[in-house]
Amino acid sequence: MSGGECENNGTGAQDGEWHRKTGVAKWRGLVRILVARNLKIRYKGSALGFFWSLLTPALTILMYAVFAGILKFNKGQPAYLQFLVTGIIVWNFTAGTLNDSLFSIAGNANLVKKVFFPRAILPLSTALANGVNFLLTVVPLLLYLAVTGTLDLGGAVWLVPAVALQFALCVGVALLVGTLNVFFRDVQHVVGVGQLAWFFLTPVFYDLGMQLGAAPIHDGLKGLVFLNPMTGILAMYRRGLMGRALVPEEWSAVVPVQWIWLSALATALVLALGVFALRRGDERFGDVL
Amino acid sequence: MKNQFATVAPTSAPENGETSGRECAVNVSHVVKRFRLSSGASLKTAVIDAFKRRPHPQFTALDDVSLQVYRGETVGIVGENGAGKSTLLSIIAGTLRPTSGFVRTNGSVSSLLELGAGFHPDLTGRENVMLYGAIMGIPRATMARRFDEIVAFAGLEKFIDQPVRFYSSGMYVRLGFSVAVQVDPDILLVDEVLAVGDADFQRKCLEKMDEFRAAGKSMLLISHDIATIRRVSDRIAYLSHGRLEGLGDPATIAKAYLDDSVRANAAARRREWGTLEAKFDSAVFLDPATSSPVKGIVLETKSDSVRVLLRWHSEKRLENPVCGFSLEDAETGRTIHGSNTQQAGFALPALDGAGGAVVEFDLRGIQAGDYMLSFSLHSADHSVNWHRLERCLLLRLRSRKWFDGLCSMPSSWYLP
Repeated sequence: MSGGECENNGTGAQDGEWHRKTGVAKWRGLVRILVARNLKIRYKGSALGFFWSLLTPALTILMYAVFAGILKFNKGQPAYLQFLVTGIIVWNFTAGTLNDSLFSIAGNANLVKKVFFPRAILPLSTALANGVNFLLTVVPLLLYLAVTGTLDLGGAVWLVPAVALQFALCVGVALLVGTLNVFFRDVQHVVGVGQLAWFFLTPVFYDLGMQLGAAPIHDGLKGLVFLNPMTGILAMYRRGLMGRALVPEEWSAVVPVQWIWLSALATALVLALGVFALRRGDERFGDVL
Repeated sequence: MKNQFATVAPTSAPENGETSGRECAVNVSHVVKRFRLSSGASLKTAVIDAFKRRPHPQFTALDDVSLQVYRGETVGIVGENGAGKSTLLSIIAGTLRPTSGFVRTNGSVSSLLELGAGFHPDLTGRENVMLYGAIMGIPRATMARRFDEIVAFAGLEKFIDQPVRFYSSGMYVRLGFSVAVQVDPDILLVDEVLAVGDADFQRKCLEKMDEFRAAGKSMLLISHDIATIRRVSDRIAYLSHGRLEGLGDPATIAKAYLDDSVRANAAARRREWGTLEAKFDSAVFLDPATSSPVKGIVLETKSDSVRVLLRWHSEKRLENPVCGFSLEDAETGRTIHGSNTQQAGFALPALDGAGGAVVEFDLRGIQAGDYMLSFSLHSADHSVNWHRLERCLLLRLRSRKWFDGLCSMPSSWYLP
């Protein structure tokens, strides 16, 4: 029962710090396997397997083409269907991550309780798996845009910040939601409703300039729509893929294009919140699960 | 709410103190673990609790536990259910964080805390093995090299590419054990693995543990199987209600633990039932030396015989009563001997009002050990059980070992 009669000269011993084995390299293999696991499980037992990642967006495009045509969604906006489908496919990456991350930690209680590894890996691999899936869904989108002649890669450089920001946002959301749902199971219900609100706040099926152009919003406040990180991210995607203006032409007089970086700021905030939540929740996961 | 995520600085535990010359594999220093008894995980309760500012009810699972495991040493952990054994292993494994104090491990840790716990039912055996390896931080190439050995040890060559949800529980456990052992850790944590699996699997487990010890690895082992834990451990730690009650020589500590648990269990195992037409008022040992009644339910003795004084009363007259007893092994629950007044040819007078009897047992025929005594009063044809006191007394018979085995069997020798 005596303490300290024991030599501790191991390389793995960390003073005070609780088991915090670092070394990203060591865990890279785990991330890869978990991402693969997430993707495999998604299509386990289905005959077409990975092809669903290509087929689903293709069918989605078809659905919108049919129903948007019948219901006349288009209010005289050119290439509305392409605009809409781009929005849907980009939105689905964020929404899919949001849904999957609810149980990224809580659903792996058996692992978390029995084995030590950096917990951040679980939400991270959820975001990555959705990212890989997203890249697959982009293939039919590009084909569709190309076939309909709306593909305009003149501003393709904007796809770089778009993908980077959306991925960062997804990681932040996954960390935040995955952690909170361990402690408060109410989060899953909040997410259900919150996701719908977020969807409507994001210009997925409407155009900022057209729908909000006439809205009674003070000109100086219009730029604040970019506080929703998805608004800016989506604008970057549409700039990169379809050559649309980052800020709607109707607004160009009052909203300088720099406002789009407000979305980057918001993304950074979400990511920071996620990291903060995980770091504080980390030590209690084992107690609660 | 304020305290929820507070990080607790490690207490000032001796840093590398004096050097005993032996390298330390696991150093547990003044570890305290408190669990908050939660009123359910919801925002509502969190908000209410935050407003009420009342301290959360807490449960202390580990209370200032310090112990070291040296390289190459096997330490067994014993203790009653809820003593904190699994909590301690979880803290060493890194899945729980101590409330205060710290744990240092020197080398890679693999835990057999729940075999196959991390397996995903929809993935194949192969995929799960690779996943487990990755979780243990083992490079893919290393895992691939060991893969065949893992599968062979588990004996699952034919099923390794099937999803594990099609596995039987035995196959599941075999694969779990195999992969946990084959990741070749420096420190192995084993929690009650010996309780599962068939005899053949248990033998394989024990062989693997011996192999592990021979390879100079360290092991921490929880088991309720005291015989096994005594055999494989270099030292035993005894936890009781979260405190370290003892640490040291396996024989000594195991005995201390068994003594305590027998005492604690004896009272809890008492039962009684019957029609209560006649009722025992008391059953007490008579001290072998002084013949006076012994207080309490336990008698520890080396004596050749022991007497029990029974007192009873009945409301109405009951003809031809029979009083019986039985003696069972406290550890196994197996009845060693049972008899009654009828079989002994003792004519117990009819019960009417208060009465009693003394029964004397000759103990020379049984081995030293812990025995529980039961008594009953019933009708001559055994059809009506008036009162039975089950496991009401504990006899702790001490070393008088003059024969091998459980009981004495008189034998004679002749020349052919």
